[in-house]
Amino acid sequence: MTALARPPAAPPARPPDPARGEVVFHVRNLSKTYGTGEAAVHALAGVDLDFRQGELVVLLGPSGSGKSTLLNLLGGLDTPSAGTLLYRGWDLGAADEAGLTQYRREDVGFVFQAYNLIPSLTARENVGLIGELASDPLPPEEALRLVGLGARLDHFPAQLSGGEQQRVAIARAIAKRPRVLLCDEPTGALDVRTGIVVLEAIESINRELGTLAAIITHNAVMAAMADRVFSLSDGRVVNVQTNAQRAPVSTLAW
Amino acid sequence: MSLLDRKLLRDLRALKSQALAVALVMACGLTMMVMTRSLIVSLESARTRYYEEYRFADVFARMKRAPDDVARRIAEIPGVAAVQPSVGRMVTIDLAGLPEPVMAWFATVPERGEPLLNRLHLRRGRLLEPDARGEILVSEAFAEVHGLGPGDELAAILNGRKVPLRIAGIVLSPEFVFEAPPGAALPDNRTFAVVWMNYKELAEAFNMEGAFNQVSLALEPGASERSVIAELDRLLVPYGGLRAYGRAHHASDVRVNDEIRVLLGLSVGFPIVFLAVGAFMTHAVMSRQITLQREQIAMLKACGFGRREIGLHYLKFAIVIVAVGTVLGVIGGVLLGHRLVDLYHRFFRFPDLHFELATGVLFAAAAASALSAVVGVGGAVRRAMRLPPAEAMRPEPPAQFEPSFVERIGIGRFMGVSLRMALRNLQRKPVQALLTATALSLATAILIIPNAFRDGVSYVLDFQWDIVQRQSVTVSLVEPGPARALADFRTLPGVVSTEPFRATPVELVSGPIARRINLIGLRGEGGLSRVLDGELRQIVLPPRGIVLSSKLGEVLGVGIGDEVLVRSLEGKRVERRVPVAAFAEDFAGVSAFMELTALNRLLLEGDLVTGAYIAVDRGRWTDFLAAVKETPRATSVVVKEAMRESFRKTTAESIGVLQMIYLLFATLVAFGIVYNSARISLSERARELATLRVLGFTRGEVGAVLVGELTLLALLAVPVGLWVGGWLAQGLLTIVNTETVRLPLVLTLANYSFAASVITVATVVSLLVAARRIREIDLVSALKVRD
Repeated sequence: MTALARPPAAPPARPPDPARGEVVFHVRNLSKTYGTGEAAVHALAGVDLDFRQGELVVLLGPSGSGKSTLLNLLGGLDTPSAGTLLYRGWDLGAADEAGLTQYRREDVGFVFQAYNLIPSLTARENVGLIGELASDPLPPEEALRLVGLGARLDHFPAQLSGGEQQRVAIARAIAKRPRVLLCDEPTGALDVRTGIVVLEAIESINRELGTLAAIITHNAVMAAMADRVFSLSDGRVVNVQTNAQRAPVSTLAW
Repeated sequence: MSLLDRKLLRDLRALKSQALAVALVMACGLTMMVMTRSLIVSLESARTRYYEEYRFADVFARMKRAPDDVARRIAEIPGVAAVQPSVGRMVTIDLAGLPEPVMAWFATVPERGEPLLNRLHLRRGRLLEPDARGEILVSEAFAEVHGLGPGDELAAILNGRKVPLRIAGIVLSPEFVFEAPPGAALPDNRTFAVVWMNYKELAEAFNMEGAFNQVSLALEPGASERSVIAELDRLLVPYGGLRAYGRAHHASDVRVNDEIRVLLGLSVGFPIVFLAVGAFMTHAVMSRQITLQREQIAMLKACGFGRREIGLHYLKFAIVIVAVGTVLGVIGGVLLGHRLVDLYHRFFRFPDLHFELATGVLFAAAAASALSAVVGVGGAVRRAMRLPPAEAMRPEPPAQFEPSFVERIGIGRFMGVSLRMALRNLQRKPVQALLTATALSLATAILIIPNAFRDGVSYVLDFQWDIVQRQSVTVSLVEPGPARALADFRTLPGVVSTEPFRATPVELVSGPIARRINLIGLRGEGGLSRVLDGELRQIVLPPRGIVLSSKLGEVLGVGIGDEVLVRSLEGKRVERRVPVAAFAEDFAGVSAFMELTALNRLLLEGDLVTGAYIAVDRGRWTDFLAAVKETPRATSVVVKEAMRESFRKTTAESIGVLQMIYLLFATLVAFGIVYNSARISLSERARELATLRVLGFTRGEVGAVLVGELTLLALLAVPVGLWVGGWLAQGLLTIVNTETVRLPLVLTLANYSFAASVITVATVVSLLVAARRIREIDLVSALKVRD
């Protein structure tokens, strides 16, 4: 593996100061096209953005606007068709399969709309599974306590409610102490009350660990909790909104 | 244990019935592999030990009569290490309580000391006292059948004189590991015995004092068998020597070799079929598992698990299944192996035949099953490894449906919704449908094999004993005599008709290939013992030319009209080229026939015969047997029914045991395959079926979709499977058929019906189990987002 293929080492300190935070993702003219010829779908068509250390970003937009595609590219699940995508100066777009795997293993925590828990493992084991990959993971109990599930360690996914399952998924994502937390519609399948609990968990991780958190949603209410809000439509960023003050999650309602 | 491994174990627990079905199929294949391989090792090592310890000779020869001094000259042949001359004669025994006469091969042991070669292993009693008279040693197989032991008595007709004899001991000989009458392909321990007697007594009885008529030689290490045999033949010509032969042509050793060859074939053939089926099932189970865990795989990848880790994780499924299969297979192989060694003891008499586990085969077994599993899951695991995480995160896109072909041609309106859905499902996933149909076909096919073996054996028996041989008894004369010698037999009570025959030892040569057999001279159109062609039509023996069994023709590489060299091994030792006139059907050994007068002309001899086939009136059977026992001219009397009975009790029974084992396995495997297919089908449809239930379909209607699919596939698969089964059986028969015993491919309606019935029952049972699952489908959770 070349020097470029490996993400650079983490900085020693992580002051939670989003305004002056270092650039984590440097995105320029980023495009993603599925299919070719007449059947080609331009999921992303020239996106320019920067994501900074410690900030909480909300990606807003209707279905098909390109949010998930952008998140997949940021998370190294997919590779761009054109444009620049740098992670701390490292070219994600040019990384090979092994490099991307290493990147996801060390740096990225994912939270999916469908939770994607392993049904045959308990909450503790689902979280512990990811701990096996990381060099300095949080103990599963600690990660689950952070999302308020300290009392349901040995329950299987089928024995947990949707919100609890989603919080296990968040605990799993943060257990490796990721530098980037990517959440794809984390409250999409949840009721308001449960959704608030889940968002609080994400918010507190962002605040306490200084993790860059990006949340995809089509729920405009959630924009208030972010440092910055990127609105997407038809594969382009149509608006960037910076909040002077982040609203506490508990005040949100939809 | 890593958490991924814990996931593996829990997933396996959820899949246990399917995993176990696959493991059992592999275990069946491996059981047969371990069992047959171990039998081979057991037979081979028992044989090696026996031959070495009891000094089994390397070269054998028979002659009319050679003075003792010839033995000394034989010992001088370069390369000869030891010489053991003896006298051997076929003798009729009268055993009290047994209506039929018994044929016994009487051989001599030296008056004092042990024989140099072919030493006897004493089982019970004692060896013969020096100079003892009226004492004999009897072969174990015969003694066992009749419950004979030391001290028991019997009478033998020695050169026309009835002599009372007392059994001193029960023995085994390396010359008679397979205890069958000379020239017979099947053992008959009821009416054939091997008996040993002190030299002087037997020699005196047959006027052979100071002479011998058979000799065994041990060769020095590195000596050329061929040159010793050539020298020995030259030396024995003046003494009426029949051509000498090495171990490779020794009747008993040939049988042991043949058995090993058959086992070798079985040890490869059956496991290949079963392991292939196992690989196929592993593939089906794993493909389904990976499809079901699509999102989990995507999550693992998103979280940073690499391709290798994911590939290995799914490969471990197969590894666990293989491990379970291997352990079960080895245990099964060892258990059945022990049982079969006991069974083999009936045919092959070794002092010490015990089960020896072929350790090498354990590795081969593990490797073979691992290979089959890896081949089976390879594609599915590669698919899991390649699954792009971003794509896998989304549920599989809904499948494209369209009206099925049957509907498009207009028959659809006569079908219910369930059947229509079943048809569309099959058409939508043709590959999956094909895989399930293939599985069902294989299940059907492997059921055909064991019964094809059974039917082959029973055909051979009917052929040999009902169609070819219509005589009740075959009587052989002490030595060739004029046809009028048979007059004694014609007047025996109950005799309806007699037909003379002449059997003479010859060597048939074509190019470099030679075979030594008894050439049989018969009446042109025999009514009792007949020569038949492949279509079971009688071949009228022509006044010129020789009729060969088709196997012999194949071995010699000759066709009709080609000439073979007939080299007589006794009498005037003529050599003549004779054209092949026809090929006869024959399943045991190889044989050749000529018209009786033509044969005698060829041998430059008068009107000689060596025996007769006799048809006896059943009403006077006992009188006939009692009389024939007292006939001094008869050296051997073979009673067809006794032979058949004995065969039924021994060979047929053991083939029956093997066949039952195979049939049991095949049935087990067939059930496994069908059950697995039904389960996979159910798991694939779980959501769809739950949706139907939510929409208001009854359990019965929902079940009908599944039943419809499986039934349609079975209707397609079973006929194909029957056809494939025929091919598999043919392939296996080709592997196991040897020159001594061959089974024809006999495919009966009963066989086909049995296979089809098993598949039907398996399908119904599997569907009932699946139906219970349909009842258990959680309607609500099945409609939720899959996690």
